[in-house]
Parts: sequence; structure tokens; C-alpha cells
Amino acid sequence: MTAPVLETRDLSINFGGLRAVDQVSFTVERNRITTVIGPNGAGKSTLFNLISGALRPRNGQVLIEGVDCTGRPPYRMQAAGLARSFQITNLFDELTVAENLRLAAQILEPVSMAWRPVRASGVAQARVDELLERFGLADKARYIVGELSHGEQRRLEVAVALACKPKVLLLDEPTQGMSHGDTRDTAELIKTLAADVTVLLIEHDIGLVMSLSDHVIVMHQGQKLAEGTPADVRANKAVQTAYFGHT
Amino acid sequence: MVDALTRSMRASHVLVAILVSVSLVIAAVGVAFDDTFYLRLATEALIFAGLALSVDILLGYTGLLSLGQALYFGLGAYLSALVLMVVPSFWAAIGATALASALAGLIGGFIVNRVRGVYFALITFGMAQVAAKIVYNTRALGASDGLIGVPVIDINLGIVTVSSASPAGFFLLVLAMIVILYAFAAYLLDTPFGRLLIALRANEARIPFLGYRTMTPRLAAYVLAAMIAGLSGALYPMLRGFVSPELMFFETSGNAVITVVTGGAGILVGALYGSALLTLLKSVIGSYTVHHLIVIGVLFMGAVIFLPKGMMGSIRPAIERMLARREPK
Repeated sequence: MTAPVLETRDLSINFGGLRAVDQVSFTVERNRITTVIGPNGAGKSTLFNLISGALRPRNGQVLIEGVDCTGRPPYRMQAAGLARSFQITNLFDELTVAENLRLAAQILEPVSMAWRPVRASGVAQARVDELLERFGLADKARYIVGELSHGEQRRLEVAVALACKPKVLLLDEPTQGMSHGDTRDTAELIKTLAADVTVLLIEHDIGLVMSLSDHVIVMHQGQKLAEGTPADVRANKAVQTAYFGHT
Repeated sequence: MVDALTRSMRASHVLVAILVSVSLVIAAVGVAFDDTFYLRLATEALIFAGLALSVDILLGYTGLLSLGQALYFGLGAYLSALVLMVVPSFWAAIGATALASALAGLIGGFIVNRVRGVYFALITFGMAQVAAKIVYNTRALGASDGLIGVPVIDINLGIVTVSSASPAGFFLLVLAMIVILYAFAAYLLDTPFGRLLIALRANEARIPFLGYRTMTPRLAAYVLAAMIAGLSGALYPMLRGFVSPELMFFETSGNAVITVVTGGAGILVGALYGSALLTLLKSVIGSYTVHHLIVIGVLFMGAVIFLPKGMMGSIRPAIERMLARREPK
């Protein structure tokens, strides 16, 4: 039996007295879209920070394809096959769209290319062209990131995370602040991503979560409250109380 | 395909080519009029341009403000002077400086790269001050007098031999050295390694999530800058025949930063033009008043306010557009 592509075991961290993430265990299945939902302050982004190496867990483990990667810094998490996007757009604002993608893709180049002029390298450039096409940014390739609309920046944020061909892609609210139309387009895009990458998503738009996800994890006050298919979660009484506000 | 950053670098090459052409004319005119003073002044400008170049690699590309780059410049100058007084060989002095400045840069780099931002600036400043005070108080290094009596050397370039006492000959040699240092830096900055430095300045926090540790490129940039500063400093005693502790003082480091900001940061070529301008101004204004630093200070403030991209930084976009138009579609 092969190990799940991503697994957390009893993952915990405290901020002072606050148990921001408290003994969270789950597994993520390959080439599925798994979504983490929960009210503000539930610990979703902190969970992402723990998995991506931005924070060190106080307890518990993060396993990527069965390999214990707990406490590794972000660049080693990336090497293990994990990439992430950010809730607040985190790009190279003064550089062009193409250069943002090329920087993220240059890790695909063999090490020997590190000391050759950038234009000599075909691998990264091919990846850039592919992503520009796929994310509908081809006509914006030469624009500086600061000149893009918010929606375009959010899409680029996802593309940059995807550029290194990760096995697991963590997307922290990719549609944050997007218009309704942009949100729908992005959802379609994320759906197509699952063909070759495992997606773990944080999302607030419940309609989107229900239509997009194969599996949903509900967090509440740092703990995992429930998990299951979108239908299971919707039917769960505890979830309704904590999250949907029903009684 | 040429991307925007490669094209920008080519625009810098164009500006360097113009500077080299002007320099060749200056050399020819200098020889024709049997001039010594202006050729030596121009040579000094080029040497300090090398120091400014090293500051720009850190400040303009990697986003690190070094206020102590004179440490490596002074190290190169003193070491070169010491080597020349024992073995009057240009290549021995250059070789020793390259090794020593790389090693010093590595050690210094491990210390200063533990911190970021204003702390980085303060520690580079502090390290250079400590080194300067040690040199200033070491009798074996001539203490406050510095080292005098560096011999005139004949520099064997294979085809020709240039004397360090020949104003035009040594000017051209220094010009070649600085252009080589520029070309080396420009080449590196257009590789994936160099692009990582640009990314560090733009958004250091994102780099680890792209799969790179930030320490490695920061350290590499610091060592590269130390070597360029050291090699530029190595030329100084050949020009002047002496070295003094002032070369390591803050004024030298601070001037290099002013040079880069005035000429334009993050474009390499700004360091060369900035140094030419400031050295000329200092000499011309200095012949009227001892308070020339006031004038330099006012000019610097003016440059920051009215030309925030610096002289060459304001000109270069026009050359980029020209190059873009000439590219095959």
C-alpha cells in the first residue's frame, strides 16, 4: 500500500495560551481536492503554515508521501514536493508576470544551469509559457505584477505556486477578494489542476467548497471538528452548529 | 527570447560602451597634451567605481545596504601594497587580494547575514570601523601614516608591459580591470543565481517557498561584492604609491553608497558614472573650497529628490525601449 501523499498526525501549536492548532490529524488522497473550512480564527492558515514549514509544530508530525518532514524549513518542504500560495498575495511586485513565473520554475532546471545565462535555459521558459496559457495570463506576460488587477494577481499567485510542479499544492483562499465571475473561473481552473497535482485548499465560499471538493475538513477553535464528503459535512449536526450557525 | 531583465542589462552594456569610448578619447587627449593630473584623477575615479560596483551588487540587486564596503577595499589596498613591497608583481598582488577578499567576505558574510535590514547596515558599518581602528593602531601597518613607498611596477600583460607610473597606460589597464569586473558581475546577475538576488530584494519572504534557502544567495552576493571591492582596492597603491587607513574609514564606504545612489542603483553602470561625476566634482570644487563635501551633500540630496532612480537609472529606460524596438519579433 502506498503512503498518502500528505498526512498530519496530532499537529499542534500554541500561541501563548491559545491553542491555535490542536492535535489535528488527517490524510490527503492523491489527485483529489481537499478543502479546509472553518470560521475565522479556526486555525486554517496556521495549519497551512505548519504544513509548509513556515512554522514549527510544537507537537505532531507532517508526512509527505510517508516521509516524516516535521519541522523542515520551507525550502526543504518544497524539495519534498510541497508548494503553497498565500492568502495575502505574496509575489515579486516590481518584476514582470513572466519573470515571477520563471523564478518559480527555475528550480526545475538542472543545477548546471544555475551559472548559465537565463535565456540559455529552456526548461523554465517552457513551464512559464505553459502556465501563462493555462492561467489566461499570456497577454499580460510583460506586465509588472503591480499593474495587474486583483483577480489577475490572485491567479498568478496560484500559478507561481504551481510552477515548480509540486506533488501537493496548498492554496490559501485563492479566490479571496475576487469578483463572482473571477471566482467561478478560478474554481474551474482548480478543478483541472487536480488531474496532476493533489490540492489542499482553504476556502470561504461555501458554494464553491461544496461543488469543488472531493473531501472537506472542518476546523473549529484549532481542532478538527469533522471531515467527509461535502454532503456528509453539510449533514453533520456539530458542523451546522459551529459553522453554519444553524441549531 | 530576451526577457525584460536581460534587455535591461544590455541597456547597461550600451552605457558602459559609451563610457569606455569616452575614456579612450580622454586617454588619447591626455597623451597628446602630456597630461598626468587628469589621467590619474580619472584612474582614481575608476578605482572607486569598482568599490561602488560592489555596493550596487548588494544594495541595488540583493537589497542589502552595506555601510562597510571600505573594509574589503582597504583590505585589498593594504594587501596589495604589502605584496608589492616584497614582490613587485601585479599578478601576485591581484591573486593574493582575490583569495584574501573572498575569504574575508566569507567570514564577514557569515557574521552580517545573520541579520537583515537596518541591523545589516549597522553591523557592516561596525565591522569596517573595527577593522579600520585595528589598522590605524598597528605599527607594522604604518598606523595612522599608512604604508608609503610602494614601488612602481611593470605590469606584464603578455603582449605589452605597462608601467604603473605611466598615466595613460595605467589608466587603460584600470579601465580594463573595471570593465572585466563589471562584465563578470553583469554575467552572474543574468543567470538563475543572479535572478535569485533580484528576487531577494523584491520579496525575500517568498524565496524559501520557491525551494531556495535565502542564506546561500545572500552569502554568495556578499562574497562576490567583497572580491570586487578588494580587487578594486588592490589597484589603489599601484596608482598612488601609498595606502592610508582613511581608505577603510566610513567616509570611503559612505561615498560609495552616495556614488551608487547618485549614478543609479540596481543597474551596475550607475556606479561607474556616479564615480566619474563625484570624483570630478570633488576635485573641481575642492580646488575652490575645502568645504567641497557640503556641495557633494547638497547634490546627493538633489539626486535623491529629483532623480530617485539616479542619473543612469533615469536614462536607461530610453535605451531599453530602443533595444526592444530593434529586437526581431
